[in-house]
Amino acid sequence: MNAKSMATILAVTYGFIGILPLFLGGSSIMMRILTMILIWSVVASCWDLIMGYAGIFSFGQVAFYVIGAYSSAILSVSLNVPPIIAIFMAGGITAIIGVIIGLPCLKLAGPYIALVTFAFQLALEPFLKGPMGKAIGSGGSRGIISVPPINLFGMSLSSSELIPFFYFTLVLTLICSAVIVLILKSHWGTAFLALKDSEDFAASLGVSAFKYKLLVFGITSFITGLFGALYVHYVGILSTRMLSMEVFTVLLIMIVVGGIGQYPGVVLGAVFTVTVNELLRPMGIYRLLIMGGLVVVVVLLLPDGVTGLIKKFTDYRQAKKESRVSIEKHESSV
Amino acid sequence: MLKAINITKKFGALAAVNNLSFEVEDRQIFGIAGPNGAGKSTLYNLITGFYKYEGKIEFDGKNISGLPTHKIARLGISRTFQIPQIFESLTVEESVNIGGRFGSSGKFNTGYSDEMIAFTSLEQERSNKTNLLNLLGKKRLMIAAALATNPKILMVDEPMAGLNAMEIKEMTGLIKSINQDLKITVIIIEHFMKVLTELANPILVIENGKEICTGTPEEITSDPEVIACYLGDSHDT
Repeated sequence: MNAKSMATILAVTYGFIGILPLFLGGSSIMMRILTMILIWSVVASCWDLIMGYAGIFSFGQVAFYVIGAYSSAILSVSLNVPPIIAIFMAGGITAIIGVIIGLPCLKLAGPYIALVTFAFQLALEPFLKGPMGKAIGSGGSRGIISVPPINLFGMSLSSSELIPFFYFTLVLTLICSAVIVLILKSHWGTAFLALKDSEDFAASLGVSAFKYKLLVFGITSFITGLFGALYVHYVGILSTRMLSMEVFTVLLIMIVVGGIGQYPGVVLGAVFTVTVNELLRPMGIYRLLIMGGLVVVVVLLLPDGVTGLIKKFTDYRQAKKESRVSIEKHESSV
Repeated sequence: MLKAINITKKFGALAAVNNLSFEVEDRQIFGIAGPNGAGKSTLYNLITGFYKYEGKIEFDGKNISGLPTHKIARLGISRTFQIPQIFESLTVEESVNIGGRFGSSGKFNTGYSDEMIAFTSLEQERSNKTNLLNLLGKKRLMIAAALATNPKILMVDEPMAGLNAMEIKEMTGLIKSINQDLKITVIIIEHFMKVLTELANPILVIENGKEICTGTPEEITSDPEVIACYLGDSHDT
């Protein structure tokens, strides 16, 4: 997909989400859902960038999200850093940790990277709950209860001011999505794909695997951490429950539904998944069962997610059009 | 131009390359022959920095031992692979541009990459995805991308393997032209002796990682040790 169609799909999707508050602004439930669609679409996009494009099976994206949240919460609660600055510092901290996690992954092949990064996520919970976490201000198993909201131009963007927070999130979402498109379509993006397809050949053509793999770890953890931070100032409370398997699974569903390595399919996947997940709330414990079943169906029927479906449809129409033109040509020549 | 001094690579107890020394001169087509498992491809992997090794390799008088692969590429040594390596997510043009952008020491010059696409006759396929190419096309693409790095030495690894007689003729012409028209030093590993003796001079023959002999095509094809290693010792008894 070229940069123009990527930008068009993103503009239409986010534009549509952006005007919805005009109609749904009165409903706090709808505003919460819309806000979460934006946050998850960016977090899932980062996962797609590192896994679908760079081919690095990082299963630590939820951990990076939580690190961003904790960093910003601790900075603003314990060190009184203004939240608007703390969220960007949290992105920076997450990026540094992302690069450190990326270092051992340079020497490892696909499935082993998944193991290392997932082990990192598993280790994060006992760390935050234990004495080491408490020492840095994680609040142990109780978590952090009163995270201050972001203040922007004298306006407080908290969960009681849903519409301003939504638009603030939308702006950050648009900026981050533009950055992702620019990266994918720059020579960085082609370097990621080349390293994914054949690291040996790419290296022998002068591509530094070291540089570009750490770069992708750094960028994706920065954005993921930033959005984790944004989320924590929005909800105001934080505990290790954010590291739950459910968050991981729902994120994975977004990518699978959208199509792995089919950006911006993952954004459509996020819209779909968050909406379905909310609609299924009344189903209680059956919700996750249905979501799980959905993944099986999507993987079996649509290996490239909705993007694959759209491509098939446009290819079909193209082929039909071409065959019609050739028939017409044939008829006119006869 | 390229000088290997007593290089040794051991995988556990097995010495894949054993105390090997040789020198490639500017503008030569330097052939490397030897039976399967003789250590030919390992030798390429050592020169291009995929593995660490004992001994020393000098390129243009500079010690390149221990440098990472991408730095060696930028210094001017490029290569192809025995099993075709392509970037299936990219088009032909994008793949060649990888070499041009990342591998050349100067500023990225799309014009030169375009010339290399034309030089390897890939003009027709330039906007196609690389997995649509046939075997010869994939081999040409590897060469085009390697040439786009503007190398001083091109190392090709069994370029004729899997090709039919017509294609072998074409590939032989391409390698000759790289050497004569682009004035690039070529190192070639090839099993197909007829092609190797036609193209290369001198030829280094190795077995079990050791040099058996180095010489002109006539010298090596008449060397009793070379005949023994290809046809077996019992040949003349």
